[in-house]
Amino acid sequence: MPSNPAKVFVVDDDQAVRNSLRLLFKTVNIDAVTFESGDAFLHEYDSDWHGCILLDIRMPGTSGLEVQKMLRERGNTLPVIFITGHGDVPMAVEAMQLGAFDFVQKPFRDQELVDRVAQALSQNEQQQDSLLHQRQVQACYAELTPREKEVMQCVVKGQANKVIAMDLDVSQRTVEIHRARVMEKMQARSLADLVRMSLVLNE
Amino acid sequence: MSDASVYADPSSGAIQVDSVLDAMVESMIVIDEHGTIERVNKVTGDMFGYRPDELVGQSIGILMVGADKARHGNYLNRYKETGIRRIIGIGREVQAQRKDGSSFPAHIAVGEVGAGNTRRFVGLIRDLTEQRQSEEEALRQREEMVNVSRLSMMGEMAAAMAHELNQPLTAIANYAAASIRLLEQGTADSLADVRDALQEIKDQAHRAGDVIQRTRSFTKSADGTRTVTRIHEVAALIRSLATLDTKANNIQLKWEIPADLPPVVVDSVQIQQIILNLVRNAVDAMEDIPADRRQISVTAKLTAPHEIRLEVSDRGTGVSEAAAANIFNAFYTTKSAGMGMGLAICRTIARAHGGQLGFRNNEPEEGGATFFFTLPTQVNN
Repeated sequence: MPSNPAKVFVVDDDQAVRNSLRLLFKTVNIDAVTFESGDAFLHEYDSDWHGCILLDIRMPGTSGLEVQKMLRERGNTLPVIFITGHGDVPMAVEAMQLGAFDFVQKPFRDQELVDRVAQALSQNEQQQDSLLHQRQVQACYAELTPREKEVMQCVVKGQANKVIAMDLDVSQRTVEIHRARVMEKMQARSLADLVRMSLVLNE
Repeated sequence: MSDASVYADPSSGAIQVDSVLDAMVESMIVIDEHGTIERVNKVTGDMFGYRPDELVGQSIGILMVGADKARHGNYLNRYKETGIRRIIGIGREVQAQRKDGSSFPAHIAVGEVGAGNTRRFVGLIRDLTEQRQSEEEALRQREEMVNVSRLSMMGEMAAAMAHELNQPLTAIANYAAASIRLLEQGTADSLADVRDALQEIKDQAHRAGDVIQRTRSFTKSADGTRTVTRIHEVAALIRSLATLDTKANNIQLKWEIPADLPPVVVDSVQIQQIILNLVRNAVDAMEDIPADRRQISVTAKLTAPHEIRLEVSDRGTGVSEAAAANIFNAFYTTKSAGMGMGLAICRTIARAHGGQLGFRNNEPEEGGATFFFTLPTQVNN
């Protein structure tokens, strides 16, 4: 994560608006990277970025809505906040229906803008965290032997060791050993923890 | 044709002349060389509100209003004396008068029958009331069309200006908000940022002022009156809208309208309507042209001592022969989403200003088409 700190990516065709936003975000310790057009942004875009996108809906060339559609096609997970002007509400509604995080109207109330951006950043962080968690769980699961995986499936269904031993046609003692290995390899602190992990694996 | 054939006796001849005349849809009047009515058909009576026998023996003058009445007598006399035809064989439009005194527009064509003492004149009269009404209706609809497109363009201009004004205001609000936060944080190096922000606020306030200045000159010309102005000023107001369209389509826009052209007397908004329309057509014409070759130039020059010509030239596909014949007709369009109104509106406006609207295809090496309109310059007396 530290190699890839969260940023707000600002896409707006007006230089004064871009510069003023960069300064405003600087005062609340948010790094802003600005782009003067949708095309310039899409050219640089990297799916490993963390943070959120602040996207002007009305721009010459590739419009904000078009940028949003192309980002979707590229599997973007960054929340998109649209910047709209007076009378752009129908477009903003369309953007929301296409999964935009939020929209703000120009000229912005600074606190409102900062709050929305902070929310978007924290949503993205949580999403990044759960993604990271999911990858860790998957990595641990990959370490299990086929027999251990079978035991884990039975354990998270709530089956008692005795039942599992009968089902798998092994001794109860063997099941206990497998079960301990599963808990250790999965780094699970409790049965409940293991159940949560199995849910993550099924996502 | 002899006199006898006109007055054929219905009982004797094979041709029932009376019934033929009464079946005519135009009024037919036979007068002698003094202008006395000798014969009329049934339609004449209906058209003028008389019984046919009431008209026989009357002067033709009773069927016309004052001015035409006197003139008509003169035409006959003049023709008898000089042989110069004013109406005979030519046809003209007159104000005709009914028995009740009301009048209506009519077309009259007069033919001559026989010679010397047996000379007669045969007039065929058509009531033009309906034709006039439909012409007036068409004119009214055209004016309405011009008006609707005017309103929609003014709405667009207002929206574009609001958008333009919003940019500096947004920047100002952001810089001010950032400055307050910086001052509250009160660190030493934040003061430099505050100073820069204040400088930006000042610049952006001036930028907003410029937009408002333009808005003012726009609303000043919005009431539809014609004023003495210069074409480069009129065009400058529409330039930002035109630029929005060309930028969005990656088109290079050249704008060369000299400031020293003589003044014109125009309804500025209407002239802007023409320019914007022509630019948008040019944009549409280059849809299938590679982006690096898309170019529109808007130019103006003096083409005659008292005529300015403004041209909008594109590098598109040009005007096909088929389109050329119909291009100015209302509801004719080559665009999939077009109404076919733009050029019809433009031509109406150009003509109302005493100018013309036209086009030519460019030389093959350049490609595309050039649309232009002319405006008479103001003549100082």
